[in-house]
Amino acid sequence: MKKTIAIGLLGPVLDEGFSVKRWERWRPTVALCQHEDLLVHRFELLHQKKFWRLANQVIEDIKDISPETEVRSHGIEFRDPWNLEEVYSSLLDFARGYSFDTDKEEYLIHITTGTHVAQICLYLLTEAHYLPGRLIQTSPSGKRNATEPGNFTIIDLDLSKYDRIASRFQKEHKEAVSFLKSGIETRNAYFNRLIERIEKVGAVSKSPILLMGPTGSGKSQLARNIFQLKQSRRKIEGSFVEVNCATLRGELAMGTLFGHRKGAFTGALDDRPGLLKSADKGMLFLDEIGELGVDEQAMLLRALEEKRFLPVGADKEASSDFQLIAGTNHDLSRQVQEGKFREDLLARINVWTFTLPGLKDRREDIEPNIEYELEKFSRDNQIYIRFNKEARKRFLQFAIAPDTQWRGNFRDLNAAINRMATLASGGRINVKIVEEEIERLKLFWKSGDSRNDDDLLAELIGSKQAESLDLFDKIQLIEVLKVCRTAKNLPEAGRRLFAESRKKKKSFNDSDRLRKYLDKFGIQWKDVVV
Amino acid sequence: MKHIDGSQGEGGGQILRTALALSMITGEPFRIENIRAGRKKPGLMRQHLTCVQAAKSISSAEVRGDKIGSQELEFVPHTVRGGEYHFSVGTAGSTSLVFQAVLPALILASKPSTLTLEGGTHNPLAPPFSFIEKSFAPILQRMGPRLEMTIERFGFFPAGGGKVSIHIEPKKTLKPIDLLERGKLCLQLGESFLSHIDINIAERELNTIRKKMSFAASELKTRQVKNSPGPGNLVAITLEYEHVTEVFIGFGEKGVPAETVATRACQYAKEYLRSDAPVGPYLADQLLLPFALAGSGSFKTVKPNLHCTTNMDIIKMFLDVDLKITKEKDFLYRVDVV
Repeated sequence: MKKTIAIGLLGPVLDEGFSVKRWERWRPTVALCQHEDLLVHRFELLHQKKFWRLANQVIEDIKDISPETEVRSHGIEFRDPWNLEEVYSSLLDFARGYSFDTDKEEYLIHITTGTHVAQICLYLLTEAHYLPGRLIQTSPSGKRNATEPGNFTIIDLDLSKYDRIASRFQKEHKEAVSFLKSGIETRNAYFNRLIERIEKVGAVSKSPILLMGPTGSGKSQLARNIFQLKQSRRKIEGSFVEVNCATLRGELAMGTLFGHRKGAFTGALDDRPGLLKSADKGMLFLDEIGELGVDEQAMLLRALEEKRFLPVGADKEASSDFQLIAGTNHDLSRQVQEGKFREDLLARINVWTFTLPGLKDRREDIEPNIEYELEKFSRDNQIYIRFNKEARKRFLQFAIAPDTQWRGNFRDLNAAINRMATLASGGRINVKIVEEEIERLKLFWKSGDSRNDDDLLAELIGSKQAESLDLFDKIQLIEVLKVCRTAKNLPEAGRRLFAESRKKKKSFNDSDRLRKYLDKFGIQWKDVVV
Repeated sequence: MKHIDGSQGEGGGQILRTALALSMITGEPFRIENIRAGRKKPGLMRQHLTCVQAAKSISSAEVRGDKIGSQELEFVPHTVRGGEYHFSVGTAGSTSLVFQAVLPALILASKPSTLTLEGGTHNPLAPPFSFIEKSFAPILQRMGPRLEMTIERFGFFPAGGGKVSIHIEPKKTLKPIDLLERGKLCLQLGESFLSHIDINIAERELNTIRKKMSFAASELKTRQVKNSPGPGNLVAITLEYEHVTEVFIGFGEKGVPAETVATRACQYAKEYLRSDAPVGPYLADQLLLPFALAGSGSFKTVKPNLHCTTNMDIIKMFLDVDLKITKEKDFLYRVDVV
């Protein structure tokens, strides 16, 4: 059984008394040891040194009234018991120096004695767990007989221990999570865990948040939701400012972000505060942060670290205190290795990193997202749109099929639903509309493929050489490279590419053949492998 | 293992104390549930815990559930050992309650004991030391054991801080006795005890006793109590007969006039005098256990109260005796141990 330890301040007024008359008054410190249903094994009595005589009297009286209680007195120093800073510091010193043994002892912090300031300090120290206990408040019985010990109430500041409060927190937490998910009942376990974590972080942290994930995975919407959640909890005052860094190219980038003075450059007709300044006390969402220029990266780092930056053409620094949310679909650490992104900036924004999965990794969330997009379209356009049963089945079947690419993720899904809803006659999306949409999506992703093919070539042989190739060679090389990319090693790629020859001939020198072929274009196997 | 419902009868701490005493004497463990179930603050309070702990230390018992507010307790005693014991009772809770719990076992132990008890000695809700010393102890001595009781300091509510010591010379068995007559009156005395209280309180109290009880001036005494840490006042009326002594107490309280305090003691004394019974209600309560342990004997008393009958029920659970109550007339009952 744990021992009960009371910690309290000597009350120079309420505990006062040396004559025998003191027994006719209710004295909180003495009375705390007088309860039949509360046994204080030890009392840590804190008092200003000048009250040592009263402290000794109270200790004597506790000995008589409660022989089981050991009283230890602690002289503490503050000149003005109404000065919060002094009182808090000296009580903090006591708490820091005291060896709490919460396995064997439980602590009750007596808050009835001392000034209101002292009470506040004890409350704060308990709430912050410097004093690992519960509060105890005592009061006289109110009967004519003041010799009674009166009443006591134990107050646990751990709000999670109160069922009704805990269930309110639980409800708020659920609502917040649902809000972050835009009300979509997502089923993907990884995604749901991710959002739970974001809700916890978002509620308290002012540090930068980095949202990673492919384009269209919902980074921008999530950033906006985080802001609105913070706003509803009054954790943020300013506004939400959003910009895609890919659009900030060239000379205007600096001015757009950090502002400029009138006349700083041609066309700077007025002072412009810049996006960082607009986000003061609010939130700045920099999407595609990997696209930010090197100079802008340096300035942003300074703005994050010191909350100060220099607008273009200004000779005085401006200041802004904002929370940064950064979005990226690139692997920023790779960009750091390639020298395209500052390592120190990455370290600064990499405090809370969350990776949003693409739609194809969240197939179980496709159905609720379809519902959400439909509802949203209906609401925005004030027409009630539904799939007919068969159409719905067909679209869903296509949407969750493993070989459906969803390359643009939620952006593609959103566009698909919008198109189908627009084409729906009488508020019904039928099979014909669905089939057309499926064809459209397939075609769209295919054209995206050819764009990617060019990228692949450019990456391996440089865009100049790629452009100089005949279409005949280009098509062959692209297909060969694609096979290579999916193979484990050179021999496996060779075996696959020359499978028919292998059947007929006895020679198995596929690796060599492939190496020589790649060599013609100056490509090494190690370059092919990602 | 005896199973006791702590809410039966009077339903208070007395059930626990009697059970502790008998368990130690018989060696029979017990489990009690619903301890003080109907009380405003149910379960074990500090004073009950002190009794449990005292019993535990004199009998090396194993105890489960001994914490504040617990409504269940399991007590498995081992051998009772006489010796030097020191127990302190907090909240000015009465030392005589601890005394009640451990005395029966110690008067039958194989070695003598010295009990030092600290805490309250004269509390409204427990038998005051003066009553135990003058009324109960002499009868117990007639049954065999020797008791030497001294009070070093009085302990009043709320300050407590009293100290008493009791030396006990035990006996293997108790000799049965009969207590059916008072015998002739040897002494009557009205006393006012004062600690840190103005002396005129004693004058007013004794004056009241003189008027109500027609005591002579020589039968009225003021007792200035020394060393008691807190204030306190009580009135004691002692009626000493050939075979029995009874003490009636009125407790001084803040806000209650001295005359009222004294009148209360007088009323108790007059109620006793209205009957022929040698044993008053409080003494009857104390005598049940030693009489039952003796195996036979009898006494006459006023009407047994609920406290008394509950006590009998617990005794009958542990001991193979019957306690018979016979009404002889109004205010006169006979209790026989069979």
